Amino acid sequence: MTTKTADILVAIVLSCFGLIVVWDSLRLGAGWGMGGPKGGFFPFIMAVIALAGCVVIVMQAMKGTSSVKGSKPFVPSGGMKPVLTVFLPACGMVLLTEVVGLYVSAMIYLAAYIRIVGGYRWRTVLLVSIPVPLVFYWLFEKIFLIPMPAGMFGAQILRF
Amino acid sequence: MDILTNLAFGLKVAGEPYNLMVAVAGLVLGVIVGVLPGLGGANGCAILIPVTFVMPPVAAVILLASLYWGALYGGCICSILFNIPGEPWAVATTFDGYPMAKKGQAGRALSAAFFAHFCGAILGTICLTFFSPLLAAFALRFGPPEVFGVMLLTFSAFVGLVGKSPVKTLVATAFGFIMAAVGIDIVSGELRMTFGLTPLMGGFNFIVAVIGLFGIGEILLTVEEGLKFEGVKVRMRWSDITSTLTDMKRYWKTLVLGSFVGVWMGFKPGGATPASFMAYGFAKEAMNEEERAQFGQGHVAGIFAPESAAHAAGTSAMIPMITLGIPGSPTAAVILGGLMIWGLQPGPMLFVDKPEFVWGLIASTWYGNIIGLFIVLAFAPAFAAVLRTPFPILMPLLIFICAIGAYAVNNRMIDIWYMMIFGVIGWAFKKLDYNMAPMLLALVLGDMAESAMRQSLIMSQGSLLIFLHPPITLPLVIAAAVIGSWPWLAPMVRRMRGKGAGKSAGH
Repeated sequence: MTTKTADILVAIVLSCFGLIVVWDSLRLGAGWGMGGPKGGFFPFIMAVIALAGCVVIVMQAMKGTSSVKGSKPFVPSGGMKPVLTVFLPACGMVLLTEVVGLYVSAMIYLAAYIRIVGGYRWRTVLLVSIPVPLVFYWLFEKIFLIPMPAGMFGAQILRF
Repeated sequence: MDILTNLAFGLKVAGEPYNLMVAVAGLVLGVIVGVLPGLGGANGCAILIPVTFVMPPVAAVILLASLYWGALYGGCICSILFNIPGEPWAVATTFDGYPMAKKGQAGRALSAAFFAHFCGAILGTICLTFFSPLLAAFALRFGPPEVFGVMLLTFSAFVGLVGKSPVKTLVATAFGFIMAAVGIDIVSGELRMTFGLTPLMGGFNFIVAVIGLFGIGEILLTVEEGLKFEGVKVRMRWSDITSTLTDMKRYWKTLVLGSFVGVWMGFKPGGATPASFMAYGFAKEAMNEEERAQFGQGHVAGIFAPESAAHAAGTSAMIPMITLGIPGSPTAAVILGGLMIWGLQPGPMLFVDKPEFVWGLIASTWYGNIIGLFIVLAFAPAFAAVLRTPFPILMPLLIFICAIGAYAVNNRMIDIWYMMIFGVIGWAFKKLDYNMAPMLLALVLGDMAESAMRQSLIMSQGSLLIFLHPPITLPLVIAAAVIGSWPWLAPMVRRMRGKGAGKSAGH
């Protein structure tokens, strides 16, 4: 995908959001209500500005007057793989948090990432992935008294 | 003098052992955060805000402000030793900082940068101390239309002066305001843009947006570019510090100029980056032929100028934050958001209602910047070692810490997912030149801007003429209109001038 295509695509997605906002603000009323502007007034103006801006962005991209270089690939070759190797495991960690809680999920995530992506020895892997979440557990749950998500089973696993 | 009495009071507040301890902790964390890629002052403050819930507001603001100063100090370590600017305003420092480090003068380059920071900080803090009370006293007369005028000026400054694509800045700002409006409308109590979905009822939290846009997004950009952290090794010696002192005596004009440019530009939103480049340019211009040729090859003045400007700009960004409630930088925006969470109403009334808070903050700026200089001078090599942590270990740790910060704000699981989504948005927006600082600012100030606009219109019963009232609102709105349309006006002005010049030069 070239940067030009991405530029236009992002502008189109943004204008879809803009249209949804326009629709919702019209539902709330974008005009003058009882003694003051109605709830949809401010979002309506902002959405109209955003929509007009998106039109200009698409025009600039088409004419090649955009500030980004349109012919360049949006993701440089070989760039997508490292991005995904960071992003997908991170999403996996968040998903796992829903089940076993943040601390346990972080241990699994850290261990898996350092071992599989980093290729470190098990000793290094365990030295980082077990103590670090435990230190944060102690700091947040015991010192600052800020509870982290426990997921469905987290409370049963970490019980000290 | 009234101000000096207040400052003495503030120095007493900030000098309490607990507050000093908090300041040092903030500074150390700040330097680490400034050194690390993917974390910056704004991000560090955002992650720490939940921790500040257990503190009194004064200590809380001291912690965040100290983290800010620490991050400013720490940013240059990354750009000098690793040739990787941790923040956009550190780009100009890499021109001369990295060549110096390669020539084996890493210690001298670092100590030059730290002292330049210190000079910028001192001038910025002097302005913060003596200028803020005056501005706050003036701003006490502001009503909703004036507040709206200031907001308009702020955002048009972003559109007109900052960033590569004015129209994209405008769109990003509009979406910031839209995201701020999601949830319960504070005036009418109606639900807006929630579409019957419970997670949307709580709206979007700016802290989650900061962590996603600036944290996760920055991490994704870093891995995509495949940056390798291969830095120059450094040792700080006494001789580095003494030679910096001689350099300072020789190039004091560069330092003063840089600091002034910084204070002046930093007062306006998004000013630190242009300030650092301007200061670098001015410093180069002011040199003689021979020295100018050394610029870019490792000239110490090429470090003095951008670094003093960046720190001065960062400091003076606090002036509009504390007086008007309008932050001049993303980090100041996060601190302002913290203020609201601690239950303080930002704006000029702070000087009247919460003097211990305001003056504690100003005094801690003095302490923080002075202590900060000693911390970075003493421990620069240790901080640089943080960056040598192998990336496959550092990166998942950063994401874990970001997730903690995002969750802790509201204790909502959905916020961690929002953080990931904001990460992708940040990654794509940065590549397409969408400016995220005004988007963040709009998200923080959304409620304030909207209620200022609606209250003004209620006052005038719907007439837009209220925004054209002299003596304060009218100039603000005119200035906003001119600055905001500058990218479109400038070519016209140039064309007219060009024609005029063409005629006068006529053949």
